[in-house]
Amino acid sequence: MGTNGKTRKRPAPPTPAPATPSPQQKQRTTMEEEDFDEDVFLEETLLQYEEEDSQRRALSERLEKWKRPALSSSYLTHSQNIMFQQLEIDYVIGDSHKELLSNSSGPAAIIRIFGVTKEGHSVCCHVHGFEPYFYINCPPGMGPDDISHFHQALEGRMREANRNNKVPKFVRSIELVQRRSIMYYQQQSSQPFLKIVVALPTMVTSCRGILDRGIQIDGLGMKSFMTYESNVLYALRFMIDHNIVGGNWIEVPVGKYKKTARSLSYCQLEFDCLFSDLISHAPEGEFSKMAPFRILSFDIECAGRKGLFPEPTHDPVIQVANLVTLQGEDQPFVRNVMTLKSCSPIVGVDVMSFETEKEVLLAWRDFIREVDPDIIIGYNICKFDLPYLIQRAEVLGIAEFPILGRIRNSRVRVKDTTFSSRQLGTRESKEVTVEGRVQFDLLQVMQRDYKLSSYSLNSVSAHFLNEQKEDVHHSIISDLQNGNSETRRRLAVYCLKDAYLPQRLLDKLMFIYNYVEMARVTGVPISFLLSRGQSIKVLSQLLRKAKQKNLVIPNAKQAGSEQGTFEGATVLEARAGFYEKPIATLDFASLYPSIMMAYNLCYCTLVTPEDARKLNLPPECVNRTPSGETFVKSNLQKGILPEILEELLAARKRAKADLKEAKDPLEKAVLDGRQLALKISANSVYGFTGATVGQLPCLEISSSVTSYGRQMIEHTKKLVEDKFTILGGYEHNAEIIYGDTDSVMVQFGVSSLEAAMNLGREAADYISGTFIKPIKLEFEKVYYPYLLISKKRYAGLYWTNPNKFDKMDTKGIETVRRDNCLLVKNLVNECLHKLLIDRDIPGAVQYVKNTISDLLMNRMDLSLLVITKGLTKTGDDYEVKTAHVELAERMRKRDAATAPNVGDRVPYVIIKAAKGAKAYERSEDPIYVLEHNIPIDPHYYLENQISKPLLRIFEPILKNASKELLQGSHTRSISISTPSNSGIMRFAKKQLTCIGCKALISNSDHTLCSHCKGREAELYCKSVANVAELEQLFGRLWTQCQECQGSLHQDVLCTSRDCPIFYRRKKAQKDMGEAKLQLDRWNF
Amino acid sequence: MAAAHMEVNSENDAIQRKQSLYKSLDERFGIQKEMYRGQQYSQIYFARLHLMRTLLYSLLPNWKPHVPVCTVLGLEEGKECIIVGTIYKHMKLKPCILDEYSKERSATPLVKIHNFTSSDDYLVLEDESGRVKLCGTVLLPSVYVTGSVIALLGKETGASDFMVDDILEAGFPHQIERPLVSGEDKYVVFVSGLSVGGSSSNPLQFQLFIDHITGHLGDEKEQSFAAQIVQVVVAGNSVEYPSALLNGQNLSSKDQSRLSEPIKELDILLTQIAAGIPLDIMPGPNDPANFCLPQQALHRCLFPGSSSFNTFRSCTNPHSFELDNVSFLGTSGQNIDDLEKYSDANDKLEFMERTLRWRHLAPTAPNTLGCYPFTDRDPFFIETCPHVYFVGNQDKYLSRLIKGSEGQGVRFICIPRFVDTGAAVVLNLRNLECHTLSFGTELSP
Repeated sequence: MGTNGKTRKRPAPPTPAPATPSPQQKQRTTMEEEDFDEDVFLEETLLQYEEEDSQRRALSERLEKWKRPALSSSYLTHSQNIMFQQLEIDYVIGDSHKELLSNSSGPAAIIRIFGVTKEGHSVCCHVHGFEPYFYINCPPGMGPDDISHFHQALEGRMREANRNNKVPKFVRSIELVQRRSIMYYQQQSSQPFLKIVVALPTMVTSCRGILDRGIQIDGLGMKSFMTYESNVLYALRFMIDHNIVGGNWIEVPVGKYKKTARSLSYCQLEFDCLFSDLISHAPEGEFSKMAPFRILSFDIECAGRKGLFPEPTHDPVIQVANLVTLQGEDQPFVRNVMTLKSCSPIVGVDVMSFETEKEVLLAWRDFIREVDPDIIIGYNICKFDLPYLIQRAEVLGIAEFPILGRIRNSRVRVKDTTFSSRQLGTRESKEVTVEGRVQFDLLQVMQRDYKLSSYSLNSVSAHFLNEQKEDVHHSIISDLQNGNSETRRRLAVYCLKDAYLPQRLLDKLMFIYNYVEMARVTGVPISFLLSRGQSIKVLSQLLRKAKQKNLVIPNAKQAGSEQGTFEGATVLEARAGFYEKPIATLDFASLYPSIMMAYNLCYCTLVTPEDARKLNLPPECVNRTPSGETFVKSNLQKGILPEILEELLAARKRAKADLKEAKDPLEKAVLDGRQLALKISANSVYGFTGATVGQLPCLEISSSVTSYGRQMIEHTKKLVEDKFTILGGYEHNAEIIYGDTDSVMVQFGVSSLEAAMNLGREAADYISGTFIKPIKLEFEKVYYPYLLISKKRYAGLYWTNPNKFDKMDTKGIETVRRDNCLLVKNLVNECLHKLLIDRDIPGAVQYVKNTISDLLMNRMDLSLLVITKGLTKTGDDYEVKTAHVELAERMRKRDAATAPNVGDRVPYVIIKAAKGAKAYERSEDPIYVLEHNIPIDPHYYLENQISKPLLRIFEPILKNASKELLQGSHTRSISISTPSNSGIMRFAKKQLTCIGCKALISNSDHTLCSHCKGREAELYCKSVANVAELEQLFGRLWTQCQECQGSLHQDVLCTSRDCPIFYRRKKAQKDMGEAKLQLDRWNF
Repeated sequence: MAAAHMEVNSENDAIQRKQSLYKSLDERFGIQKEMYRGQQYSQIYFARLHLMRTLLYSLLPNWKPHVPVCTVLGLEEGKECIIVGTIYKHMKLKPCILDEYSKERSATPLVKIHNFTSSDDYLVLEDESGRVKLCGTVLLPSVYVTGSVIALLGKETGASDFMVDDILEAGFPHQIERPLVSGEDKYVVFVSGLSVGGSSSNPLQFQLFIDHITGHLGDEKEQSFAAQIVQVVVAGNSVEYPSALLNGQNLSSKDQSRLSEPIKELDILLTQIAAGIPLDIMPGPNDPANFCLPQQALHRCLFPGSSSFNTFRSCTNPHSFELDNVSFLGTSGQNIDDLEKYSDANDKLEFMERTLRWRHLAPTAPNTLGCYPFTDRDPFFIETCPHVYFVGNQDKYLSRLIKGSEGQGVRFICIPRFVDTGAAVVLNLRNLECHTLSFGTELSP
């Protein structure tokens, strides 16, 4: 199973899809995050033999020392409660447990909970007896007889639809219950609903399909039903019903669990129990701690062929490096590397060498099994490393390799998935299911949580860890592999570093704490946080809350897309300029959540227009929102969303208060992770109601929220401008210069920071008093000085206390865009620094002029001019010719081995070319440019790269910015280097010239012509000064690279084009050689 | 080599200048034939380790006769052994060229520090096979620097660190015994940091110095002292350029000629010395020479006047020579100044002593000290123990006679900057005694 190409988007197995897909089903494909359960049949996943090889026994002895701690006797004799932190919950279809469930038989869903005890034992808990269900509206007048008719009819239809299934009874029961729909304000407290319990989780979907389309019921005729909570994943349903949240502690009391008759997993503690016997602990106090789970960080190296990216069909896996760390400890306790062919030892690392690739792969599998990691991390492991290993094993025919999960003989399943969300766009990915182990791909996390200019491991590490990583080009990996055990050791060290950095990132950015906290707050399993979008988190909270209130949530997605869009947030017009007086900023704290709370906006408080007429609610009990919707006030019906938000924000307040108290850094980390998770969750609630392709969109709510938001910003503007006036007794008239979604910038006119801060506080208090609680306007900071360029583009110094500024804050200015060359970023940063911090406008202008002059005079460091773009497909697939694609093609013609491949980033510079040449023809590889002295095109950089950002900054400040900066006398001298390999230079004959005046000299023994002879000392000084400068640079650059690679005795191999000094280093090496030759001419 | 002689007085009782036998040993510091061909710095470390390891291995039988010797790779947990390798010091305060590219420019510029050591520094030992982190209290990170090669006794701990129990440094090299010459006093004068053309240089002060040593000043007693000076050594930083000229921008032709003014002035002054006394001039960091060690001799074209005398020798930095079989080794100060930035000691002489014990003139090259990327040798390795070891351009005069374990006697001298102190150092070749010669408003030799 798993290899037969099943995809997520198929109807329940093993039924074939209905012959005519309904329009509704068509729509499904466009929807975000359609969740389907997919039943995995235990028997099908297992290999029927267990392969055991005496040859590998030696290896297993070597691995043995990394086993988990042995069980104590009270565990062995089952005389102890089993308490563990769960990390992963899934389910499998197996036979229902005869002892625990005496009165049922046939296949049933068994929940599996994987976790770790506080002693570090691995746990696999099989939970029996929880049955999947959903609700439908009970048609009026349906009596008990009708229900049994209905049951029969449904059973019949289900049997028809699932012909191959041998389940004795598809629809286990239909029960009449009292519930209420979450949608719309209703006066009656409940209505009859039917709870339909089915045998297997996938049947929920197929049953829903039947009910959606309509079913013939005796006595009632053809009827179709709206289903409720039929889109809830089975495992999540179980968690919700038993108050289990992601990553919490679960306890099974003594006597309530039974050791499994046949051990199915590799876990130390494996047992069966009834779903009703589990005790779930809320993650508070003692139970907020983390179990010592094992985190494996790994990386693989493949020997690619020249010029091609490694493919599992051809290229062997040559090394796998592993680090295993216990949660909470700062050093890994296992470091090893498995290599193909011999490899010299590495201090502190267990090097295991093998002769065949099969042995390497199987050793890794054995290692995984022995060390039994709970979490697997790495960089791009989900898309590359794991699928590669699995496909490679398939190519090599190693059937027993992909048993990496915790279930005995169960093979890993790989499938292609597309993940799309509004926030992140569509992403293709591979989903590798490793049962019982959580995968945490740091690349995915980075892309999700941070906006960076590059996501290569090198630049991410440089950004967060301040550590550069040696980057070995994949074209030389094969060379290193084909060398000797020393070169392979080199590669192993590199591979280890790639395994080490993700672990460091994980620690440094506290992802484990933050994500576990997020799972606990929102109630979803940890694995959902990376593989799903935001809405599942809100849905999980909504379901939990609704359950308490006896509410049910309709599965009504189709309503979404037809509702169209709504007006977004307001941005007050920006009065661009350079403000040299303090600008106070008034912020709404959590604006959208507070609006929802203040006005009781919820699904269950929304009154439909018909109801509004019908119910005749007194006006003091309802709110009319500025967008025209009606919601009842909380005295009639308290909304669920406001309640969720209140709890989230109250919890955040508590966490923040505890954070202040906390001393222990670990505790601090947990609390900080928690308050952050709470904040993000609170903010995602609004988004959930507005996601038109989401689970339960309700644009009435989201458009009301934004309309209130707009109103508040306008209201604030008006109040400030009315109250803070000279007429009102203040020194100046206050002016609103700009307002964004949830903040307003005020110029009170005072020139001291302190006065501005006091006025800001006064204004915030005054205006807050006019809002309904908990909407609150806060004074947070003053910008001084403040450069407002346009909407969403500004820069300023950020002050929270009048003595010292906190930082320089910029928004929307070219400081991080990755399409720009580094020069732009440096220039903009430096200018802002000079303008805002040094308050030196002439200095900034001079700096710009010097930089432009350096650019025109060819004195610019090439690495500052490199532009990079990702190559996403090959040249033929692009419709428009672009610089980087054209260059990649040209480079392939020169040398296929080092040319960039799809997926690489292509660095290039724009060179000078014939007049009229298109921009895409003028791109060139920076290395090639260096080696051949090709002149760059300074005008391209001046016009297309730096002029716009510069003018944006300087226009509010200078009158004739463009004239002053871009056309002054500093632009008059230009120097362009002569290329050494193109055009006429190829026919030129090199002759010695006088160093002083460039006159030709015939006698090669001489350095100077007769005219310059007298200036000998002076000219020598100049030459030698040039050499001295280069030598200094050469030394600093090359020793830095030794530092990065972590070795003094080995040559630097790194070719990381992401590294800021890579081109400089190359250039220094080349220039040095030339300068030395030049200097040597003096030694006559 | 020919030694010069001159007449101090035109009268009959002319005092004859003494002479001594000079032999240059600078050849190994030359880089005339070497080229930049894309080589890196790994080779010089390799050459150094190779030389030093052979040396240290030969000392092991007398140090710890029965302890096995391992490579870093061969370490086994808990097994006592000796390892030999290059020290790498991990320093968090060490300036890094990548900082120029750091994403956030800090609002307040860092205070410029002159010493980059911190309590978090730790040492790593590296050989061709790998690295191991060193721990234990025996080995002080503040003393050692990246690039020194030593032998260590200890064992690998469970945390894959190497617990150091004892250290072996190569120690002072073997010394060729100093010939017991007659009771005749002969003096060598050292001067450095003349900074001709610099804002604080005082032309009169230097002229006084010249007149004094050439015997144009003072009474007969002083003149007869001057006549006993057999050699003058100028140890670096002889000129200084106005800083406004060197800001990286293109120079106008007028400024270009100003660039060679200090050197012209220096030439005139040195001509006066060279006319009377043998003169060695070494380049220093401010001189018109290359930047990397070994700095090559200042070009003769810079000294049209003084180079016409055969007493004038333009030398390399480091500089090594013999005078009447007394051997001299010295630098213009970069090696010791760099050690001061990256390690701690009580005074500069202690740094000097360490370099001699480590048998390496400039251990921090190439790591933090500019150095030519040699491919097959390490010219800074000290093969034999000099009798006199001097460094130029120091803050103050310091000198000590230090005895080695094999009875080697070495005179260590820190030559103060003349421009700041007005002092030169005089060494008596007979007994290696040493004193300063100060020139100020008052003459006090």
